[in-house]
Amino acid sequence: MTAATPLGKVATSLAQKELDRFGESAPGVTSAVLLSSDGFEVAALKINQESASRLAAMGSSLAAVGSAIAQEAGINECRRLIVESDTGVVAVMTVPNVNPPLSLAVVADDVSVLGKLIWATKNCCLALEKRLSK
Amino acid sequence: MTAMTPNEFKILFTGPMGAGKTTAISAISDRGAVSTDVMNNDPQQCDKATTTAALDYGQISLPDQGSVHLYGTPGQDRFRFMWPILMNNAAGVIVLLNGEHPELDHHLDHFLEAFGRGETIPMVIGVGRLSEENLEPLERLGQRLEEKGLPIPLFDVDVRQQDDVLLLVDTLLCLVEVNDTGRLEA
Repeated sequence: MTAATPLGKVATSLAQKELDRFGESAPGVTSAVLLSSDGFEVAALKINQESASRLAAMGSSLAAVGSAIAQEAGINECRRLIVESDTGVVAVMTVPNVNPPLSLAVVADDVSVLGKLIWATKNCCLALEKRLSK
Repeated sequence: MTAMTPNEFKILFTGPMGAGKTTAISAISDRGAVSTDVMNNDPQQCDKATTTAALDYGQISLPDQGSVHLYGTPGQDRFRFMWPILMNNAAGVIVLLNGEHPELDHHLDHFLEAFGRGETIPMVIGVGRLSEENLEPLERLGQRLEEKGLPIPLFDVDVRQQDDVLLLVDTLLCLVEVNDTGRLEA
């Protein structure tokens, strides 16, 4: 295992297929990155390499801060974080029970569909869990 | 005044991955330090189990009811976006380096440039993992700083030892004080 392919080639390919399926069905998604907890891109959707790398690093920092705050507040693990503005949403959600730990960062341009977006992102994370957990 | 309030100081620990920033903050924080350590998937860069993905945070209470807020940065360049966020309102910077690392000189130059060469806010450098028999890397770095005309204090430290880390913090706070006195007199 190297940092360039934290999952290995087969698992990375499975993850990419799942992400492509998510892109076809989720509402308002403009880009998405599946990332390792230490900020490496595993798979990406509708985004160039440089932006994917940056979103992966930032998504992992957000997820790490979320976990630290959840621990400090005594509310166990942070499952998701939502960054919401007038024009869009960034959701960072943990993929459960996978090793190495992964999160999915999703950018969407339609705030009105936030509930649907969270639902679709959660389903994608569960599908990734099924595919990738050993 | 570079301090947050007269008795509140924010100082930053930075340096490359594996230099001991998280360990240093944990060694001196009055209460359990906050860490954002995650599994390290890049053993080629540094062979350790975890790495900091966002920041470390600790705090030391001062005798005059003030406190020193200790922030640690992630070391890898991909987390560079965190550096200015954490640098904001800092009174000084402690750069930690791994004295065993083959790219030690490059690390010195890289973090000097990224955090203002001690010219924007005071800086202190701590070099870890040096054996008593071989302090040549420390002498080399000292010479390098001299050639650059940068009078930055440089120490041999073991970041696991509270006294060593406190020496870095004390030195930095002295520089902060001198800096502020200079500004007031100017």
